[in-house]
Amino acid sequence: MEPLISMGVLALMGAAATVAGASEDLESDVGSQSNPNSQVQLAPQMMYPHRIYNKAISGEPPSNALMCAVGGTTATVLMSAYNMSPVFAIAMGALIAALVHGTYSVTAFLGRPTSQKRFKQPVYLDILWSHTPVIMGYSYITTFCILVISYLMVSVLGHPFPLPLIAFIWGITIGAIGSSTGDVHYGAEREFQSVEFGAGLNAANSGNIVRKGESGLRNGFDNSWFCAKFGGPVTGIAFGMVVFLSGWVTTVFDPAKGIAIGWLSVIAGVILVLIMILWNRKIEVAARAAYGPYKEDEVAA
Amino acid sequence: MSAGGPGGEAHGGVAPGKMIVFGLLGGLICIYAAHFLAMVNPVFSFIGALGAVCAIVWGADAVRRVCSYGLGTGVPSIGMIALGMGVIASLFGLAVGGLAGPIVAVIAAAIIGLVIGILANKVLGMNIPIMEKTMVEIGVAGALTIVGLSTTMAGTFMFAEVLELVVAPGYIAVIFIAGGMGILHPFNACLGPDEEQDRTLAVAFEKGGIAMVIAGIVSMVISTAAAIPSIVIGLLIWYISFAKFYELTKRDAYKVLGTGLLPTEEELQ
Repeated sequence: MEPLISMGVLALMGAAATVAGASEDLESDVGSQSNPNSQVQLAPQMMYPHRIYNKAISGEPPSNALMCAVGGTTATVLMSAYNMSPVFAIAMGALIAALVHGTYSVTAFLGRPTSQKRFKQPVYLDILWSHTPVIMGYSYITTFCILVISYLMVSVLGHPFPLPLIAFIWGITIGAIGSSTGDVHYGAEREFQSVEFGAGLNAANSGNIVRKGESGLRNGFDNSWFCAKFGGPVTGIAFGMVVFLSGWVTTVFDPAKGIAIGWLSVIAGVILVLIMILWNRKIEVAARAAYGPYKEDEVAA
Repeated sequence: MSAGGPGGEAHGGVAPGKMIVFGLLGGLICIYAAHFLAMVNPVFSFIGALGAVCAIVWGADAVRRVCSYGLGTGVPSIGMIALGMGVIASLFGLAVGGLAGPIVAVIAAAIIGLVIGILANKVLGMNIPIMEKTMVEIGVAGALTIVGLSTTMAGTFMFAEVLELVVAPGYIAVIFIAGGMGILHPFNACLGPDEEQDRTLAVAFEKGGIAMVIAGIVSMVISTAAAIPSIVIGLLIWYISFAKFYELTKRDAYKVLGTGLLPTEEELQ
């Protein structure tokens, strides 16, 4: 294929991945999924009942893998059995995936607070009715974008794996990146806004999440509003870079053209990873110096 | 601190023995019925997914029993390992077993589950009394889920067809994750000190219904006539079990409120 067309496809995939990353993180923030959810779950036990959506669907990687695999499967079936257009098939696949994700969200929301009866955590149905459609909306956007990436990989770039399998793998990847990148912003920054930046989570603060909002009692919308300012976009950039850069090295140095060029792609990948590690380290050190407090003795303890 | 409480033996409800009979016999009978009846008419392939629903419910109950020993964040891992064991055992069983494929898959899954259970207890030192037994159950439930859903998708459990219609097009990925989430999500969603077996298993039936609908969607590749019963019956199972789950939520919750403020300090004392 023409290198220019490959680069164009890659750019489109990177753009779709950036949107998918942002929507994935905001979806997990509205529903309070993954790592930060352990504190939401713990809060009622520590006498801090709340009005935050408690969406415990395993971790983000399996739940996103489910969404994307369901979407990819439905789209493939519609394209292969009924010859539907890819755009329509992908839209339908994302719709079915969002519906399935919605049922998983509802059962988690109803199940966990109910199993905390002794801690007197009520089940607020207005939270269920208002938040679930937003969660489904975000999951639709995520699945749609992942299916676009997967479809381009299979049909244009000629990847040998079938579409449902690629969608499944990207689902795990986006969940892992959303969990590792965006969760920090929601968990450490938002749930524990009341403690000093960089203070870490003291055991005495376990479960003591911020439960009151800018106006009234805090809920998942307030959290997604906050995370949309930084956590969501930065997750999008992270996932977009993963998709773009991992494809870029083999597009520029195409291994199909010879073994020497194949090795060049490996070297380019290693250089990129090294640059990222050094860059991340510099950002971390600069952030600690600028925003501390970061006490040596607390680290040793 | 574990969100699931201090940990200990799961209490109440239907005895494990009955769940084993339900999952193992129900799963195998449905898979064989689907295979032979689908030869007569592909419409009957939906029975395989019913077997998968039996296996998912059994697997979810086994997860509940083992994870009650304080495995809070380990619940998703258990579900994934169930289907990990299941994929290996079911493909091995179907590849070498022919007509006895599902039974060979069950035996292979039981052996893998036993080995993993012994490793978890003796080598990793988890020291959970029922670990070996439940890992066998979870492995077999995972294998039956895969064989059951594959039978509905392909209309048979013969290896060549399963390979061509389920594994090669990548639908095995959705079986893996929908089956795994069906087994792990019920207890994960209902985790907590006041968890009840009937409420957890209502979620298991509901997730089984969703897996059945997805298997039905894939069976459209063979024929629309084969897909319709799976989708309609799957949706029916989903609706009935979801309604039951909501009813049990209202029974078990501290309060189900339309809206409201947080409980007061006095109320919490």
